[in-house]
Amino acid sequence: MGLSSIFGGGAPSQQKDTTTSAKAASNPIAIELKNQIAQELAVANATELVNKISENCFEKCLTFPYTSRNDPCIDQCLAKYMRSWNVISKAYISRIQNASASGEI
Amino acid sequence: MSSLSTSDLASLDDTSKKEIATFLEGENSKQKVQMSIHQFTNTCFKKCVGSVNNPDLSSQEEQCLANCVNRFLDTNIRIVNGLQNTR
Repeated sequence: MGLSSIFGGGAPSQQKDTTTSAKAASNPIAIELKNQIAQELAVANATELVNKISENCFEKCLTFPYTSRNDPCIDQCLAKYMRSWNVISKAYISRIQNASASGEI
Repeated sequence: MSSLSTSDLASLDDTSKKEIATFLEGENSKQKVQMSIHQFTNTCFKKCVGSVNNPDLSSQEEQCLANCVNRFLDTNIRIVNGLQNTR
């Protein structure tokens, strides 16, 4: 489960989700179902990330006629992409929060 | 991970069903945000990150990424408004 751990798989939002966890103890089948859903979402997110990074870093690091690899560039590009993801995520989430605070959404 | 059988699922009571519906609603909206972040990062990385020769983002790149998302969202809102007005 290496990939899914990137997106916090295996630890579904049960603990964080105060609306549902505040109620009586869940049915074990319900818990299992939630775990599986969370796990699949984590895998889907990790897959999406891997695909997007591969596409972008392939584009940035390799050139015609693709005779040689460029591992140092790929490694740096991967780090850069992850950092970009964090910057974008922060900017987007703060925008959502501002919009909801000012009643736009 | 063990998989659930159909009879397991059929045995769920209404409370559990409701709980799962709420859970799905929450995961669904989280997932929408996640997918948007994937899309914005893909678009803005292409536009803001020039050559790759170190693993850190320069301050210009970082600024560009944040501006890029915000301008994209501005554009999105303007398009929605524009389409609403033409109706």
